[in-house]
Amino acid sequence: MQHSRPLFFLLAWLCILALPPLAWAQLPGAYADRAEMIELGRRHASAEALYAYFREQAGDTQPLTQATLPDWSGIYSLQFTAAGLAYDSAQKPNELPTAKLVPEYYDKLVERVEQIKQGIEFDPLGRCEPPGAPRGVSEPFLREYAVTPDKTWLINEVAAETRRIYTDGRGHLPPEDRFPTFDGDSIGFWDGPRLVIHTNQLRAGMYQRGQPDYSDDIELVEIMQKADERTLISHIWAYDPQTLLEPWYTMKTYIRLTDPERILRIHYWYCFDNQNNDVQEQDDGSTTFTDFNFD
Amino acid sequence: MIAKLKSLLLLISVLATTPLAAHHSTAMFDDQKQITVTGVIKEFQYTNPHSWLLVDVTAADGSVSTWGFEAEGPTTLMRSGIRKSTLPVGAKITITGNPMKDGRPAAAWSNAILEDGTVLNPRAGFIAR
Repeated sequence: MQHSRPLFFLLAWLCILALPPLAWAQLPGAYADRAEMIELGRRHASAEALYAYFREQAGDTQPLTQATLPDWSGIYSLQFTAAGLAYDSAQKPNELPTAKLVPEYYDKLVERVEQIKQGIEFDPLGRCEPPGAPRGVSEPFLREYAVTPDKTWLINEVAAETRRIYTDGRGHLPPEDRFPTFDGDSIGFWDGPRLVIHTNQLRAGMYQRGQPDYSDDIELVEIMQKADERTLISHIWAYDPQTLLEPWYTMKTYIRLTDPERILRIHYWYCFDNQNNDVQEQDDGSTTFTDFNFD
Repeated sequence: MIAKLKSLLLLISVLATTPLAAHHSTAMFDDQKQITVTGVIKEFQYTNPHSWLLVDVTAADGSVSTWGFEAEGPTTLMRSGIRKSTLPVGAKITITGNPMKDGRPAAAWSNAILEDGTVLNPRAGFIAR
């Protein structure tokens, strides 16, 4: 009997080795190491390549069913860091954004930051444009997630914006039919509890106030997953060869808000409901209100 | 734990001193100055993407001027504990904000105290909890 115990453990160990790995074991977890995530981006030449890598690592995943939908219910909001509204939550206060920019876009960023210090700034959201992607990930207002087996909606209070992620196995539009939009075209797949997303067909924009610009060549890869009951984590890699020397990685944390009285809900966001919210860009690039009505 | 506490304190300090406007730059406000006025609430415009609290302020000579204090929209205010019913017309209020650079009677609302001592910080709504 004593001799059979080592043999039992050996056989058990061999059986474990023979088992296929858990389908999501190879993909980054919620609190994956930042340096490793940056390196992972660098190792892939394009967003398409990184997405294909995740697809391959995930192997044969099981499609979601009503019974296996993850619980992303509730109302969430961005967890602020000392970086404030910065696109990369790891940005240090009073430092430039962490993006490795090509010289033209670096110079543009430095000029933007200097102008802001002088009080010269205009945000296109002032014209009621939606933030779009990727800027929307760093907006600090309410969010909801509608998860279904075939698609997931990422709903942002800002400008009543909804990103639609199709997980029914479809691909992107063929290249000759593509056109840029604020939220682009997003496809994805579920790897256990993780939603992996590839987005292209985005239009040029600004990552956030005081942040760099991106071109309409930008593509994104995102992995969204719950870290615990109240925490949703998103790893994001931006690829944009026109503006970036290497992919720009960030991780965003969203907290499900406690709302015991259930008073929180997303209301439609229309900038011209109130005349006092009407702003305009000045000739020097700064912003001011138009005419107030305090009567 | 200490690091987390430091981060939270830094965050609170950032939120307390920086006008964080929802849909437009805050360049029109002077973030190096604060003004405080005491008056009565004329109207609470509880609107997206910004709310405006209009306050009638009576000067020593008896003349009344209306000041507008801009804050975030309804959901951020609710997260700060400021509902539409919190600020009824006619209530007395002492309110502080970063004034407009061009001298118009408006400011980015940073803090307020009601007659009963209740303190209202509209930017507290940005803390996710």
